[in-house]
Amino acid sequence: MKQSTRRRLAYGSNATLVTVMVLGALVLLYVLADLYRVRWDLSEGASNTLAPETLEKLRLLDADGEKVTITAFTHQAGKEDTFFKDRAVRDLLREVGENSRVVEWRQVDFDRERLTAEKLGVREYGRIVIQRGSDRVDIRDREQFRRVGKGQDRRTEFVGEAALARGLAQLMTPSRRVLYVLTGHGELDPEEHGPNGLSELVADLDRERYDVETLDLLRTDREGELPTVPEDAAAVFVARPKAALSPNEEDALLAWIGRGGGVLFAVDAGVPAPALLDRLGVTVADGVALQPEMQVPYTDRPIPVLLPHPITNDLREDKLAVILAHPAPLVLADPVPTGLRATTLLRTTRGGWIELGGRLEGGMAVYEPGIDVQGPVDLAVAIEALPGRGLVRATKPAARIVVVGDGDAFTNALVADGPGNARFAVNAVHWLAREDRRLGVLGSVGRATEVRRLALTRPELGMVRAISLGLMPLVVVLVGAGVWLARRGR
Amino acid sequence: MSQAWAIFKKEMRVYFVSPLAYVFLGVFLFLAGLFFYMGISMTGEASLRVMLGNLSVSLMFMLPLLTMRHFAEERRSGTFELMMTAPVPLWALLAGKWAASLALCLVLLAGTGIFPLVLAYYGDPDWGVIATSYLGLVLTCAAFVSAGLFSSSLTDEPVAAGLIGVILLLPFWLAGNAADMVDSPTLREGMRHLALLTHVEPFTRGVIDSAHVAWFVLFSFAFLFLTWRSVESRRWR
Repeated sequence: MKQSTRRRLAYGSNATLVTVMVLGALVLLYVLADLYRVRWDLSEGASNTLAPETLEKLRLLDADGEKVTITAFTHQAGKEDTFFKDRAVRDLLREVGENSRVVEWRQVDFDRERLTAEKLGVREYGRIVIQRGSDRVDIRDREQFRRVGKGQDRRTEFVGEAALARGLAQLMTPSRRVLYVLTGHGELDPEEHGPNGLSELVADLDRERYDVETLDLLRTDREGELPTVPEDAAAVFVARPKAALSPNEEDALLAWIGRGGGVLFAVDAGVPAPALLDRLGVTVADGVALQPEMQVPYTDRPIPVLLPHPITNDLREDKLAVILAHPAPLVLADPVPTGLRATTLLRTTRGGWIELGGRLEGGMAVYEPGIDVQGPVDLAVAIEALPGRGLVRATKPAARIVVVGDGDAFTNALVADGPGNARFAVNAVHWLAREDRRLGVLGSVGRATEVRRLALTRPELGMVRAISLGLMPLVVVLVGAGVWLARRGR
Repeated sequence: MSQAWAIFKKEMRVYFVSPLAYVFLGVFLFLAGLFFYMGISMTGEASLRVMLGNLSVSLMFMLPLLTMRHFAEERRSGTFELMMTAPVPLWALLAGKWAASLALCLVLLAGTGIFPLVLAYYGDPDWGVIATSYLGLVLTCAAFVSAGLFSSSLTDEPVAAGLIGVILLLPFWLAGNAADMVDSPTLREGMRHLALLTHVEPFTRGVIDSAHVAWFVLFSFAFLFLTWRSVESRRWR
């Protein structure tokens, strides 16, 4: 071999080796940078950053390790805001994908990929399908977007993150559970769609994978056997009975509590409260709880203070108000009976009182010392009955009970009026059903992102076209021609 | 450093006394204007996302044409040997040429500065998003200029160098779309990491992610290193 060839071979091998090593080191550096990434979201309101609740749900999904597939179908081309809608969904899913190891997503053109749509049984634009194993949750377009404002200010807002977080939370509950609503005493009706019905709450619970069924503890079809709360119950809802419960019914509920079950009691001023509340250390006092701060224009709708508890924590964080109507005052036994742990959830403000009668000022009740009882007044309490300490068997978990001094708070009228009523109710059911990790799943609507519209008339758009397509390139070409001619002339 | 600065000044002079920079700037601004107009007429939004997304792809085809003459032309005109024997370190040569091309890119991008102003006049754009979008474009330019320099160092023909540059960059564009067609999750993930748009897209949303910044920096460094090896190899080949 010639010396020059040998020299080239030596240099070449050395250069190749060094190049491969350097490129390898660069790849390694990138892998490290990808593993330990730092991120800044400079968009207004950090609109690309997922809410802590969504991240928490993704963390739980990652911990489970089962793959989650999200298929988002595009919106109808040519419609207003289609571009914004598709992009908002894509941006959200991209963030979700980046924050999870188990979530795989793709956006599918509904018009072009009809086969995928047919496979998933999707017949409408804009639907998001979340699948995990054999479970599936669908999110419709109207759950992702809402129209706000009036007249010229009317615009579309994207609230899909909350909907997606809710969908992910639903997937974490493998099967549907049943909330039994006691009947037979004139309770609020789960099927009633009017202002006094519970249909809105039932719809919210349905999205959270709870079936709502009625429970009759007065009758039994088995001779000699007393009715009991079914084993499949997630919790029992005693929704403002207008008549007293029979001793058998109270026994059935106590037996359920003894098995570590959960019960939500909604009571109202002026209607008989279940006697078993005494055993839980709660008394429903006479009168109505009022406070100076009311929902305008009502004179009996206090907006109570939310106190820390898993049921209320996310409402407190999101500053969502719960509205009550004509609530009954609750009084916790002092001290609380042995084996019970009680926490106040809702309380009137410091100026609150128990109204027992007296004069009105401008149509509004006022606190009158000597007649009324000074507050603050408890309006909702959460109780845990510890196992082996009287009420609950030692082998069972602590029973959970929530008592709310207002049945109206759960009705369609107040669920619509009270920004936090639905979430309070759903959180209460989750807590009673021991679905603690799903607390707050209704999620804040979060940062709603909206289209930043340009206010351009047709002539203005024409002017923009002329500037961007004609004027600017022309100026540059003319300057270039000038330079070229000047150089040529030298 | 002064040697790199001298090379930088010489390259900038070459750009701006020849019609090349102006033709390039004119074409670039026309395309930018087209994408801008398309974006606002399509979406009605005070946003540059459509324009900036499309521009990053256009740059993939345009920048190799800007850098193609750096080494190829020098070799063809016989000034390469002169340059290699001059008392200028190779790194200064590379840095000067790379910085000059990047500076021209900045001039190109500055030309699009009127578009955010139009948006601000008729709407309320998100300035954070606009700032990060431009940062993304600058990083894209830096990366593409490096690749263009490398392609220019491979051949004596400027046009061939331009073509090689485009061919070099194409896989980084196609990898993103191809990834969706791949069944293997590992391969799909790998291709997504390779894809240019994966790394550009967060910038267009207002997000600065250190991993994506690192991708562009390392991409630029890799091609500058390859250029250095390629030019240096002329000494012993």
